[in-house]
Amino acid sequence: MSEEVLVIDKLTKRYGKLKAVDELSITIEKGNIYGILGPNGSGKTTTLGIVLDAINATSGSFKWFGETPSKAMRKRVSAILETPVFYPYMSAVKNLEIIADIKEASYDQIPDVLKTVDLLARKNSKFRTYSLGMKQRLAIAAALIGNPEVLIFDEPTNGLDPHGIAEIRNLIKKIANEGLTIVLASHLLDEVQKVCTHVVVLEKGKKLFAGKVDEVLGSSILVEIAGPEMDKIEAVLNKSEFVVKVERDDKMFIAELKTGIDSSAINKSLVEQGITISHISLRKKSLENYFLELLAESHDKTS
Amino acid sequence: MIRLLKIEFKKVAYNKTFWILLGLYALILGTIFFGIQSVINEFMIDAGKKAPIPVTKISLYEFPAIWQNLTYVAGYFKIILAIIVIIFITNEYSYRTIRQNIITGLSRWDFLLSKLLMILVISAGATMFLFIIGLILGFTNTPEVTLSMMFVNLTFVFTYFLELFAFMVFALFLGILTKRSGLTIGLLFLYFYIIEKYIYYKLPDGWGDYLPLRSIGNLIDIPNTSLMKIFGLNFRTFVSVQDVIVVFVYSFIFIYLMRLTLKKSDL
Repeated sequence: MSEEVLVIDKLTKRYGKLKAVDELSITIEKGNIYGILGPNGSGKTTTLGIVLDAINATSGSFKWFGETPSKAMRKRVSAILETPVFYPYMSAVKNLEIIADIKEASYDQIPDVLKTVDLLARKNSKFRTYSLGMKQRLAIAAALIGNPEVLIFDEPTNGLDPHGIAEIRNLIKKIANEGLTIVLASHLLDEVQKVCTHVVVLEKGKKLFAGKVDEVLGSSILVEIAGPEMDKIEAVLNKSEFVVKVERDDKMFIAELKTGIDSSAINKSLVEQGITISHISLRKKSLENYFLELLAESHDKTS
Repeated sequence: MIRLLKIEFKKVAYNKTFWILLGLYALILGTIFFGIQSVINEFMIDAGKKAPIPVTKISLYEFPAIWQNLTYVAGYFKIILAIIVIIFITNEYSYRTIRQNIITGLSRWDFLLSKLLMILVISAGATMFLFIIGLILGFTNTPEVTLSMMFVNLTFVFTYFLELFAFMVFALFLGILTKRSGLTIGLLFLYFYIIEKYIYYKLPDGWGDYLPLRSIGNLIDIPNTSLMKIFGLNFRTFVSVQDVIVVFVYSFIFIYLMRLTLKKSDL
């Protein structure tokens, strides 16, 4: 049975005439990795700010672990909203000690979390001397203090170089493997696709979609196939009962398979025909396409 | 409570600005207290040589008058402590650490309470500093010290503590209201030295004494010196209960307003 970690019910936040969050309802269940996806200004940070008590909602309610929000429940949740925030004149260790004091957690954990994010060697350097990537990593270390059950990351790879992005993503995946519930807000589709199990799509403070990433992408599997005899491959694919559609993409074919069929079936039928292939691999349908479709649909409705 | 104080202490302990300003405060007070008497006396003796009537050497530091003298003069420098408070509260906004503190799990009231506790500690520390200086100067300047002489006017020391606390609460309130250090410090000076004085003169007689900073300043009245007595001026040599009550009421009002502001604001 799935356990509800966070239930957001008809949350609304107005800034004057603007509705930053508009009757938004989201349910976050234990053990999943949620991607909250939406363009800049879609209400991601505002929503997270509200459930973390940094922002007051105009109306609506939310419950953590089935209870009305309290200090005790918030100690079970860690979050980084937007940029990493620390006291610039203090060292990493002292900053983490303050976090531990607030969470009423022990200092013993500090070396461990610094090791996890690979900052142990710089633990006594002042925060202001850190690079952006290091700051982001320290923020993740801070989030791990007090063994939270839920982690919330808002745009954790913003402003990082590709190396830094890869590092942060690996870290999040590593943390996710330990069974924590993670909420990751991002405007990067690729990031959500690579890291998350579930996705919630927001636009203008409204929910456009909520569901599993696999369900979004899994309705059709795309397979890349290439080999020395491209003509023969094309002939087989065109005749195959497993294939819905074949497209040629540069030096390979991309076959869209029927639901429930996997790539081994295609491989088998090609081998049976005596055709050798040099490349066969799954290509997930991009979340980006789906996302753009969703946005286009919502624009059609409103216009 | 201890936990909140521990958090707050860590925030200031590693900050150079905090220690520099605190050092400056101690240095200024120390210099004035230890230096002023000899300056005044030299001046008086010098004047006495030409005067037709003999001018007696005065001591500001004899028990029990010393407590009112010291606390009155020290009162002028509480603005330095207020600046420390303003820098620390507005830093929390400019670093956005107030938001992170709340997100990490401090309630808004906890946050405010931690600042108030720190103000309490600074007030107590500064009062202790003055008390020690008072003891040293009192012992070295009073010909015959008795216990009752030493402690009879200690109400001034406790009142000084209240004066510092209330003034810093007001500074904290301004800081939470405007969120910017330069602006808040400017506003404090403007209000303290100009706006409130203007309102004071505009109000009917007596009413102006109930203005917030005026009432804090009224707690300890100007000490009487023999010179003033010559001119027939006579200031209050005790602390009025009414003033203390007014200052307490103001402190509560400002704390309540801060609590309300924090509760309603988006961080």
